[in-house]
Amino acid sequence: MTTLPNPYLPEIATVVETFPETPSIKTFRVVLNNPERMKAFSFKPGQVGQLSVFGVGEATFVINSPPTRMDYLQFTVMMAGEVTSKLHSLNVGDQVGVRAPLGNWFPYDTLKGKSVVFVGGGIGMAPLRTLLLYMLDNRKDYKDITLLYGARSPDDMAFKYDLPDWTTRKDMSTTLTIDREAPGWEHKVGLIPNVLLEMNPSPKNTVAITCGPPIMIKFTLQALQKLGFGDDQIITTLEKRMKCGVGICGRCNIGTKYVCMDGPVFTYAELKQLPNEL
Amino acid sequence: MAAKYLASEKLPAWLAELAASRVVLVPVKERDAVVFRPYSEGVKPVLDRQANVPPKASIFPASESLMSFKYIKNPEDLGQVAVEVHETVDAPPTVVFGGRPCDVRGFNIFDRVYDCPKVQDPYYKARRENTLFVTLACEDAENACFCHWVGSSPSDPVGSDVLLTPIQGGYLVEDVSKRGKALLSSKLLADGSKRSTEAKAVHKAALESLGEVWNPEKAPAKLLEKFDDMGFWEDVSAKCVSCGACTYLCPTCYCFNVTDERSGMKGERIRTWDNCMSYLFTLEASGHNPRPTKAHRLKNRVGHKFSYYPDIHEGIFACCGCGRCIKLCPVSVDIREIVRLAVERPTAKPEKS
Amino acid sequence: MPLLEELKAQITRRLPELDLVIGWGQGYDPLHHTPVFIKTEADLDKLVFDPLCVHNLSTYLTRYVHGKKLGVVVKGCDSRSVVELLQEKLIKREDVVVFGLPCEGVADLGKIKRALAEQDLDIGRVRTVSFEKGSLALTVAGKNVELPMSKVLADKCGRCKYHNAVIHDEFAGQPIEGQSQDAYEDVAAFEGQTLEERMEFWREQMERCVRCYACRNACPLCVCRDYCIAQSREPGWVSQRDGLEEKLFFQMIHATHLAGRCTECGECERACPVDIPLLLLKRKLNKEILDLFDYRAGTEPDVKPPLLSFKVKEENINERGW
Repeated sequence: MTTLPNPYLPEIATVVETFPETPSIKTFRVVLNNPERMKAFSFKPGQVGQLSVFGVGEATFVINSPPTRMDYLQFTVMMAGEVTSKLHSLNVGDQVGVRAPLGNWFPYDTLKGKSVVFVGGGIGMAPLRTLLLYMLDNRKDYKDITLLYGARSPDDMAFKYDLPDWTTRKDMSTTLTIDREAPGWEHKVGLIPNVLLEMNPSPKNTVAITCGPPIMIKFTLQALQKLGFGDDQIITTLEKRMKCGVGICGRCNIGTKYVCMDGPVFTYAELKQLPNEL
Repeated sequence: MAAKYLASEKLPAWLAELAASRVVLVPVKERDAVVFRPYSEGVKPVLDRQANVPPKASIFPASESLMSFKYIKNPEDLGQVAVEVHETVDAPPTVVFGGRPCDVRGFNIFDRVYDCPKVQDPYYKARRENTLFVTLACEDAENACFCHWVGSSPSDPVGSDVLLTPIQGGYLVEDVSKRGKALLSSKLLADGSKRSTEAKAVHKAALESLGEVWNPEKAPAKLLEKFDDMGFWEDVSAKCVSCGACTYLCPTCYCFNVTDERSGMKGERIRTWDNCMSYLFTLEASGHNPRPTKAHRLKNRVGHKFSYYPDIHEGIFACCGCGRCIKLCPVSVDIREIVRLAVERPTAKPEKS
Repeated sequence: MPLLEELKAQITRRLPELDLVIGWGQGYDPLHHTPVFIKTEADLDKLVFDPLCVHNLSTYLTRYVHGKKLGVVVKGCDSRSVVELLQEKLIKREDVVVFGLPCEGVADLGKIKRALAEQDLDIGRVRTVSFEKGSLALTVAGKNVELPMSKVLADKCGRCKYHNAVIHDEFAGQPIEGQSQDAYEDVAAFEGQTLEERMEFWREQMERCVRCYACRNACPLCVCRDYCIAQSREPGWVSQRDGLEEKLFFQMIHATHLAGRCTECGECERACPVDIPLLLLKRKLNKEILDLFDYRAGTEPDVKPPLLSFKVKEENINERGW
C-alpha cells in the first residue's frame, strides 16, 4: 500500500485579512505559507477544514470562498468556545494551521442543468456561499438561482459585502429577511420557513440547499416538503464536534456515518436513513 | 508452522534474549493489579491470569505527541511571530509478551480504521510495524470471558506473531507470522513437534470452559431497531456511573481526543485515549450535545461495537470478548446482557417525534 | 421476619410514592453484586443483601433531576453519604426515602482475590458463593474454599463506628450493638515514613492510573462530574498528558475537594480498576479535619460541615501562630 500523508499535520498559513461580520462572527482569509502548496491546493464547494491556533487547538469550519477564487481561503467563525475565542483575537500576519480539504461536498456536478434554491440562516450562510459563488462563476451551467437568506436582525447578517451584488444581479433572485422589524430595513420581515412558503419556489427540476440553526432547518424541511420538494431534492450540511477529521477519533458518527468523512453534506433522503441523533 | 518447546525455567533467559534488542513488555503485578511493564532482569511476568490493563498502549499510547510546535519571534519585528511544526513519530522496536489472544485481536479491529485505503495513521502504523506479539493461549475461561461469542477463541492466533500454549513443564511455542518465525530461532527453544497434541487438548479444554456460545449475528440490525427505544437504553444504563473504565481498558476501543498543551513559546499537540461515556465527548461549543445522557452514550458504545462497526467492516464485531468492561466496571455493567436484551427484548414503538 | 423480607415489605409499602428504589441484586457472577433499580413489585425478586453488597448506592441520588422521588437502600457507611448530601443541600430530604440497614461488614474483593491466589486459584473463576457462620464458602475450579469473614472483611468495616444507618425512614432488621474505634492509625503509620518514601510510594501507585475517573464517578460526593476540572480546557489546569504529575495532581484536587466531606465509604478505591489505594489520601485529609474541627463527615444531618461555614476564630487553629 502506498504511504499516505500524515492526516493530522496541518499546513502553516498566514492570516492575510480579517474583519468582523457581525458582533459575534468574524471572517479570516488565510494563505498557505508554502506558495507551491497554495498553488496546488484544491477543494470542492462544501468541504471543510480544521483551522488551528497552535497551543489552543483545532476546530472545524467550511471553506466559504469558492474554489474558483483561490487568492485565499476564507473561513467565517462564530465565537462559541475556546478555539473560536482565540481565533477571534487573531490579527493579520498571525500564523494558523490548516488541515483541508476534509469531508464531502455539494453535488455541484449533478446540479448542472438544474435550478437551485438556497435557504440560509445566520452563520449557516457560510457553506452555501461557497457553492453559490462557484455557481455564479460557472453561471451558464445552472438554471435559476434563488437565494433566501435570513438572520435575526440586520446586525446579525453576515457577508454584507456580497449582498449588493446578490440583490442586484439579474441572473439570480435574492430575498433577505430578518425575524423582527428593524429601523432602516428595506427587505422582508419574517421567519425563514414562512418567507420560503410565501416565495413558493417550484420543485420542478430544482434542488433546495439549506443550512442554519437546527430549529430553522427543522421548519425549513417541513416547508420544503409542503412545497413539493422530494427527499432527494433537499440537501443540507451538518455540524458535529470533530477532532481528527478523518473518520477515526469516533465522536461525529451518526450510526455508521461519520460526519467528517461521509458528510458534512447529506440529502434529506440520506438523513432519513440515519438514526435520529442530531 | 514450526512447533518448539520452551521449558518454564528457560523463560527468563528467552525474555532476556528478546529484550537485548527491543523493549519487551510483560504483564507484572503491582499491588493486586496486573499491568504491562518493560522487562528487565529480575522482573517476574504474571502469566496465570489476564492483565487488568491490556497491552493497548504498546501501539496506541494513552497519550502521545502528534507534533511539537514552537513560536519564534522575529527579533527585528516582535509583532511578527512565526510557527514551526515538527512531526513526532516514536516507534521503538517492541515485543509484547504474554498478552492474551483477545488483547491482540483488539489491534485487528484498530487496523481497519487506522490503516485503510482512505487514511493511514502514521503514528499507529509505525508502531504496528515495529511491534511483535508473543501471545499466551488461555487454559481456562474467567466468568466474564466471552471471546467465543465474537468469533474468537482462547487460542485464537489471529494477530499474533507467536502463540504460546502452556503444557506440562513449559510452553509449546508456535510461529504464526513470518516475523514470528524469526523469533523461534533461539537456541533456548527445543523441538516441540511431538507435543502439539498436548497443546490442542489445552485449547479444546479452554474453549469448553467458556460454556455455551451465544451468537450476536442479529445484534447489528436489532440495535439499530432499538435506536429510538430510549426506555430500553435508560433501563440498561441506569447503573452506569459514566466513568471510563470500560473504554480505557478495552482492547478494541480506539477513540481519542486531541488537545494542545502549550507552555510559553512551545508546546505539543497530543492525542489521548478518550471515552465515549463522558458527557464532554460530543459536547459542542454551542452547548448542544447530541448524546446528552448516559443512556445515549451507552447506546453509542454498544451500537458502535455490535452494529455500526460490523456494518462497515464485513460483520466483524468491535469487541474481542475479553470481559474487562464487565469485571472491572465499578458496578458490573454487563455488555453481554445488554446486547442479548437488545436482540431478545421486544422493541417499544417510539412515540412520534 | 428475615431482614431481606422485612426490607422487601418496606419497599413494597413505600413504592407507590416513589419513582424507583435503588438496591442490590445479583451481578454477572456469584461474587459480584450489582445495583438494581426497582420500579415495580415484580422487581423486588432481584433484591439481595449480604456482605457482597459493596456498592454505596447513594452515589446515584445526585444523578436524577430534582423532583424525582427516589428510594435508596443503605448500609451504615453509605447512609453517611446521604447525610452529607443533605447537609450540602445537594439533595432534598423530601425527595429521598432512605431504607436503612444494619451491617456487620462487607467483603473486600481484593482480599478475596489475594486469599484465592494464595491457593493458586483465580477470583475470575468462582462458581458458587455462600455465607455460613462467619465465613465465606466458595467453589473455584472444582475446589471448595472456606475463607473466614475476618480475613476478607473490608478495612473500613474493621474500624466502623456506624454499623447502623445513621439516617433512615425505614429500618429493617435489628440494630447492631457496639462500634470500633478509628484513630487513623493506618494514616499515622504511613506518615511515619520519610517524605521521599511517601512520594516514591505514590509515584509507584499512580504510574498505573489510566485516568478513567472511576474513582471520581463512583464517589457519591464528587458531584461536578461532567464539569470536572480534570478535563476542562478553560481553565486548563490539568493537561491531558498521562504523566505522573497530571495523575497525581488530579488525585490531589479530588482529595482536597473531599476534605471534611468524604465519608470514607471507599468507593474510589473499590472502583479503581488498577487497585490504587486512593482511600488513604482521603483519610489523610479527614484525619486533619478531625484534628482541626473534631468533625466526621456525614454523621449529623443538622450540623454545618466546618469547611462550609465560617467562624471568625477557629478553636483549634491558631492563625497568628504560623
